[in-house]
Amino acid sequence: MTIKQTVIDMPAIARTLSDIHVRAVRTVVEEVHAEGGSATSTPWKIAASYAVLPNPWLGQGTASNLTDYAAYAAPILAKELGGRLIDHLDGAQNIEAFGKAAVVGLEGEIEHGGAFIHTPYFGNLFRELLEGSSIICFSESRAEPSQSLRVPLWHKTAAATRDYYQSMEVHLPDAPHADEIVVMAVAADGPRPHPRIGDRNTDPAVTLAIFEEGS
Amino acid sequence: MKLRKITTIVDEVLTEGGATVDPVARTAVVAAVIENPWKGQGFVQQLNTGIDDIAPQLGKLLAPRVMEALGSPLEAYGKAAIVGLNGEIEHGSGLIHTLKFGNFFRDAASASTLLPAVEKRGPAGIVFDIPLKHFTDATIRSHHQSLEVRIPDAPHADEILVALAGASQGRPKQRLADLSTEQ
Repeated sequence: MTIKQTVIDMPAIARTLSDIHVRAVRTVVEEVHAEGGSATSTPWKIAASYAVLPNPWLGQGTASNLTDYAAYAAPILAKELGGRLIDHLDGAQNIEAFGKAAVVGLEGEIEHGGAFIHTPYFGNLFRELLEGSSIICFSESRAEPSQSLRVPLWHKTAAATRDYYQSMEVHLPDAPHADEIVVMAVAADGPRPHPRIGDRNTDPAVTLAIFEEGS
Repeated sequence: MKLRKITTIVDEVLTEGGATVDPVARTAVVAAVIENPWKGQGFVQQLNTGIDDIAPQLGKLLAPRVMEALGSPLEAYGKAAIVGLNGEIEHGSGLIHTLKFGNFFRDAASASTLLPAVEKRGPAGIVFDIPLKHFTDATIRSHHQSLEVRIPDAPHADEILVALAGASQGRPKQRLADLSTEQ
């Protein structure tokens, strides 16, 4: 008796950061002990991890296919960057908010950054690693090296929870060079320090009618 | 010590000049942002009391964190004090240029040389570069390097940012002749 095997044609994926020629990885963790002059209830942590890699699509024009290389390269970026955030924030179970970003060097298109972060090959895996379910908020830009980027975060399973609307500023020394892309993942272990601006469930109805006479 | 935040940065360099760096070069810095202990006191002639109180607390806080963040044996190190606009550079220097601060790092890293430093006054978010040198012989040329850091939103005018930095190796792809070859 012979067993007939079905071969599923899975796309090849990169297994290491070296496979996709990553030049550098930087991980930044902020631990906030006091804000507005008051101690936070527990030190609150917010972290970013980013990789700097060559832009694989330079010189290929705007008709080129971006999906194939994104499918190859983005999974290992999600795994490695997400893994660093999980390490620094003491486990996926302690992570409550997340976000992502891409910064493209001056020779590339922002679309190149989008190919890495806005496709399932990054976002789905990053979300799964961090045990989230929300859509992931993001920031993207094209810039010279050594600038800073502000990246938004929101709750990983309840995106509309206002206490978790927050952002992190990240400095990118010496990156991205003109022919490089920075791909970044961010996460936080809690809401903003001292959140007290309500929520959509407690807001009064606010419409343009408030400008009408007598209201 | 009034601590507002601690920022940890870990750098991993996998390639330099297009060539593979193996093992990956690791560098870590940990920065504490604290209230200037001499805030609002005008010109203070004797800084000793504040130094004796704060410098050991900073050393104790930062040294083990750098070693943990680095995650591999340390070979080069350095330090920084960035003073907010209402303070004096002397305030930052007071906190880092004392054995009561540096010895915590030297002991944690089994190091023996003086720590190279940057001292600077500036607005929140100013960029600074921390110099690093070899941890037992500051003449070892392969380990002369520096690390660019910017801590957004710090130091405020009445704050001081104090940082320790460590590297697991010299410069990535270092290949300069040793100092002794020119002597």
